[in-house]
Amino acid sequence: MNSCSSNGTAVGDFAVRDQPQVSNVASRRFASLWTMRRPSLLLATALILHLSCGAQQPKDTAAPAIDMHTVLQRNCIGCHGPDKQKGDTRFDTLAQLATTDRATLLSRALEMVQLGEMPPKDEPQPSAADRTQLIAWLTAQADAAGGPARKDKLRHPHYGNLVDHEQLFSGTTDDAAYTPSRRWLVSPQIFHERVMDVFKLSGRDRQNKQHSSFVGVTNPFLLTDHSGVRYYDLDSLDGGDLLVMLGNAKWIADRQILMARLLGGDRQVEFPNPKDRWKPRSLPKSYAAFTTIIKKSEKPTLAEMTAAVQEQFDCVLRQPANAEQHGKYIELLRSSIALAGNTAGLRQMLVAVLLESDFVYRLEFGAGPPDQHGRIKLAPREAAYSISYALGDRRPDAQLLKAAAMGKLATGQDYAREVQRLLADPNYYRGQVDPALNGKHFRSNVTNHPKIIRFFREFFGYATATKIFKDPPRSGGIYRNPGRGTTATPGRLILETDRMVTRFIEQDQHVFRELLTSDEFFVYHDKDNDRGLQIIAEWQQTYERLKDTDWKTEPETVLADHLDFLKGIKSLRVQDTSRPGELVNYMHFFADYFGQGIKPFTTHPWAHGYTLHHAPLYNLPPTPGIGRYGSWKSSKYRGDKIATKAFWDYPTKQPFRIKNRMGILTHPSWLIAHSTNFFPDAIRRGRWIREKLLAGHVPDIPITVDALVPDDPHKTFRLRVEEVTAPNECWKCHKHMNPLGLPFESFDDFGRFRTEEALEHPDNLIKRGNGKTTFDVYPTAPVVTTGGLSGTGNPQLDGNVDDAFDLIGRLAQSKRVRQSILRHAFRYYLGRNELPSDAQTLIDADRAYVDSGGSFRAVIVSLLSSDSFVYRKPAKHKS
Amino acid sequence: MACMSSTRLLAAPHKPPMRFIFMHRGNGLWPKVMVPESFDKALLQKEQKKQPFEVDLDNHELPAWMSPLAKHKANLTILQGLSGKMCTTGHHSWCSSLGVFKANERLSSIRWATVDFELARLFPSPAEHIELACFPDGGGNARGSLNGIATGFSARGPQQPNYAFGSPRIALDELFKSVSANQTARTRYELERKLLAFVAKNEGATADELHGIEKAKVQGYADSIQAIRERNRKIDGMAGRIRKHVPVLDEKYLADDVSTFDRQVGHTEVLLGALISGLTNVIAFTVDELGHRYTGITGIEGEKVNMHDVGHNKSFGGVDATEIRARCRKHHMTLVDRIVTRLKSVPEAGGTMFDNTMICYFPDGGEAHHSHGTEYPFVVMTGDNAKVKLGSRYIRLPDYGQAGHKTLGNWYTTLLNAHGNPIDHFGAVDTGLDKFGINQLGAIAQFQS
Repeated sequence: MNSCSSNGTAVGDFAVRDQPQVSNVASRRFASLWTMRRPSLLLATALILHLSCGAQQPKDTAAPAIDMHTVLQRNCIGCHGPDKQKGDTRFDTLAQLATTDRATLLSRALEMVQLGEMPPKDEPQPSAADRTQLIAWLTAQADAAGGPARKDKLRHPHYGNLVDHEQLFSGTTDDAAYTPSRRWLVSPQIFHERVMDVFKLSGRDRQNKQHSSFVGVTNPFLLTDHSGVRYYDLDSLDGGDLLVMLGNAKWIADRQILMARLLGGDRQVEFPNPKDRWKPRSLPKSYAAFTTIIKKSEKPTLAEMTAAVQEQFDCVLRQPANAEQHGKYIELLRSSIALAGNTAGLRQMLVAVLLESDFVYRLEFGAGPPDQHGRIKLAPREAAYSISYALGDRRPDAQLLKAAAMGKLATGQDYAREVQRLLADPNYYRGQVDPALNGKHFRSNVTNHPKIIRFFREFFGYATATKIFKDPPRSGGIYRNPGRGTTATPGRLILETDRMVTRFIEQDQHVFRELLTSDEFFVYHDKDNDRGLQIIAEWQQTYERLKDTDWKTEPETVLADHLDFLKGIKSLRVQDTSRPGELVNYMHFFADYFGQGIKPFTTHPWAHGYTLHHAPLYNLPPTPGIGRYGSWKSSKYRGDKIATKAFWDYPTKQPFRIKNRMGILTHPSWLIAHSTNFFPDAIRRGRWIREKLLAGHVPDIPITVDALVPDDPHKTFRLRVEEVTAPNECWKCHKHMNPLGLPFESFDDFGRFRTEEALEHPDNLIKRGNGKTTFDVYPTAPVVTTGGLSGTGNPQLDGNVDDAFDLIGRLAQSKRVRQSILRHAFRYYLGRNELPSDAQTLIDADRAYVDSGGSFRAVIVSLLSSDSFVYRKPAKHKS
Repeated sequence: MACMSSTRLLAAPHKPPMRFIFMHRGNGLWPKVMVPESFDKALLQKEQKKQPFEVDLDNHELPAWMSPLAKHKANLTILQGLSGKMCTTGHHSWCSSLGVFKANERLSSIRWATVDFELARLFPSPAEHIELACFPDGGGNARGSLNGIATGFSARGPQQPNYAFGSPRIALDELFKSVSANQTARTRYELERKLLAFVAKNEGATADELHGIEKAKVQGYADSIQAIRERNRKIDGMAGRIRKHVPVLDEKYLADDVSTFDRQVGHTEVLLGALISGLTNVIAFTVDELGHRYTGITGIEGEKVNMHDVGHNKSFGGVDATEIRARCRKHHMTLVDRIVTRLKSVPEAGGTMFDNTMICYFPDGGEAHHSHGTEYPFVVMTGDNAKVKLGSRYIRLPDYGQAGHKTLGNWYTTLLNAHGNPIDHFGAVDTGLDKFGINQLGAIAQFQS
């Protein structure tokens, strides 16, 4: 807007102010636009608007003049003016509205035009130039009316797609890319790493703490639960964070003092909480600066205090205190020691540094002279941190810091070199994708670059499956909700999806297409293929050897007679003759499988903490529970009282093909995450596709809408959704979601493929089950799976679809889908929404992906060496 | 909202705030022990079949363990039939019963602020909210120290556990340190004040150099520190009143090896001091937790009683488990009596402080040691100004799965709606109730005044 004003004829700028404030001729003239029925030539002439500020950022060059009035008159006023007010909307009284109402109306109008909803399809359409002008004008007006609040809103993830997709990838924008200078709140993972840095943990000490928290430290940061990129640079510390930080700082400082005392050989150290005795094996030698003050009976010297302050700055803020900071902290330390003695005074200083907000912010302000666009490059040290935090959660490795110190982190090429080096490094960032999924028989998969996997987790949003609680009997009793110490069924499903993503990221070819269309999945699979094959071979060998013995009636004898053989079967872990009951269990288990010509899962169901029952969620046959075999302590077999089922012939070699599945969007984890407690939620699924794959935008639900699908015992969920969203005012938004989501009615809210839907309503109950071994029975109705694809920009892909597989197949071929995923990758790595000036960055990333045969690593290198990543631009100060 | 706040501020000098005390205990609370022995056969039959009914308590004798409340019968409601299957039930439940979601020891399981914090926000006070606990020393939140400050059973917000005072001594030291006569406590107090002043100045200076959203990122932090300093200033300004109400406790209540019964009495005195002095209007009190090993139980004072074993019907010191449960419950009722009696003695706005008080006593895990959450029996004490229609009644709500059935979520929604939070529904839904076609959202209409 500033450059608009400086151009002189800033009528639009005046028009957005409240009417009472309007005080000059130009504004009065403009205000009259909204009230005139037939504008005079004079007024029309006065309404020539200079819209150089029309896009979302200022340009330095003057834009051509636009006859905005004519555009509006031609396209809008007819239905939303003095004669008609369709949808209770009129623009002729805009200037009389309160600022907030005007901002709301303009934002809504802008969304409608951007979505192609306005003018309606059955009305004459504006030319491309008119539409562009209208969008630019409405953007400027909405920005001005909405003020900072609207600008802040547009920075949020949900509004990322409001930047026009075609404009971004058209190649017509030549604005210089940059990221606004910023403080960026650390992620939960980076926060944990920073606490480890305070204690200067390395080697085993660091590894041990990698996946476990500190007793006295509460991670104050959390990411929201929605699908899509969540870690943005928008968050700030608030009062709640402060309370947590205060508690954290006190605990950390106490532990630092305890470590310093231990370093000084103090053998009297007592842990205040006997259940919290953590200390590193290797004490940081640099803590001697603290030890000196603690051990001294007299007051410390200035040099000693300086050493302590600088040590704490190094621990907490990763840089030395400057002269001003040094002075302040020395004074704090001195006065605190005078008040409470050396140790308490030292603690006061340690806590104060830990409460510096920069402990939890990433600083990206840039250094050096600005270029002709007003941009500043990241300072080399900032760049090292930015690169490292983009690729992982750890501070930069020594080589990256060295490159920064040597002046070898100055250009995009330098960044690309370091990013490629780190992506090729199998160790520095290596770790589990999500330790929270770990259970007795499962570990989240370890990969060289877990942060890349986390992008796809966030993008697809499948990890939110743990937040959707289900009624287990509705799943036939196999679903377990997350509870104490376990993420239960959704956790297992998420882990299996992580594996799928990890596989394609490691292959790094046609990544997006594979993720969307692969029919190869991992299910259970708690051991690698070789180990699994070995176990099956050993078990089969055991079964063949013992099946004709009296293992049922004389297990003790059979065990004794074959002890040497059984000891040789390592996977059975037989050590002596003390567990005949387990032999009986194994043999019944083997008979259920090998006896039927099929293979079992490679962990036996009576293993402690066994929780695997979810194969039927993939429409695979069930696997037995512990109840069938009972405890290993007893020779009693309970299975003879349980109907024999056709168990799943477990594919030891994974991944393996599953029919009626196609990529992540048909994975039970994604389907559950995009369901409600009770229903599949076609609307949420459709909205996800519209926004995440088609770079589209669906307006927020108006507050007047009671977004509930009505109950009707006789109708399928689809029918009820269609009926409730059919009215015009609903359909104008729902048409962007329903046709994309309804094909997924092939899958229920547990992610099971289906052709019939149970009409679960109390009025329909045919038979009540006990919820454990028998389940409620309802009548069913056929599932309808048709839908429609729109918005790919490719007429060969857009159109009616038969089902989810047809839809996914088309999506996977779409250029727009590829570019939409790239836009989200941009947000993940840059921590913000794209601006129009980021166009070249996105075009380059797209080209990198295509030219490399679908390599996501190529995308990362491209993004992290782009001007958007390298340059910062300070915010303009208001005088 | 700004309008609402200013109204409240204007009204404050004339209208006292409501106070809420949530006393929860472990090991389950059996619905059968809530039933007055004077119920006739017809009522007992209804009770056993869990059919909905209400009776006036005036004509009935309270269960023996509730006898300490006999003189407050006019304020007493025995509320039965609320379910909470959306909570973590069984042995340990963390902040489930106050938050109405499945909580566990992982912070990520905390989905939102617990009801006591929501109420505390409606009735602001310098300390906002205080939590006291007899911590578990085995199981549950076992990493905390019995006498220290550790993760409590309330939550400030998503993933934000509250911290509770484990012993009367630490609670006394921390809450009343501004008026402490102890030099070490005074020094600590002064250091803390200086620290906040330093950080506020430091961050404020950083914020001054910034603009727009970048300024907001630091300013909010600086402002929060200032808010704590402001709160501290208020507490300092109340020094006279606080000093007047500092609990005076015998040494036995302050000892590290204080017995459980005495620890509970000590906590109750701290609770009263904090309420009457105006430090807070809401207190969560973990009377016990399953992992707490009891001492000081009447008649077997010397025994260290593992409540988990009691849950499994083990006797201690020749006293069977049912009797141990009864003695503990009765002791808890003496605590409630202590609170009610004391608050009734404090004049306030033409009545007494108890007029503006509500006490809920309930189990953290439901109806039994190995509970399923089908029932959460409540003993509720309400002052005359509480905005819920309860009265001196025994109320059994419709059973789980029956038409009109209500959950903990409905109950807390009722409390929140009644006192100014218009939330549609507080808490998670019970996915198992859906098949019964029950609308489980909203307040309980019959309790709305």
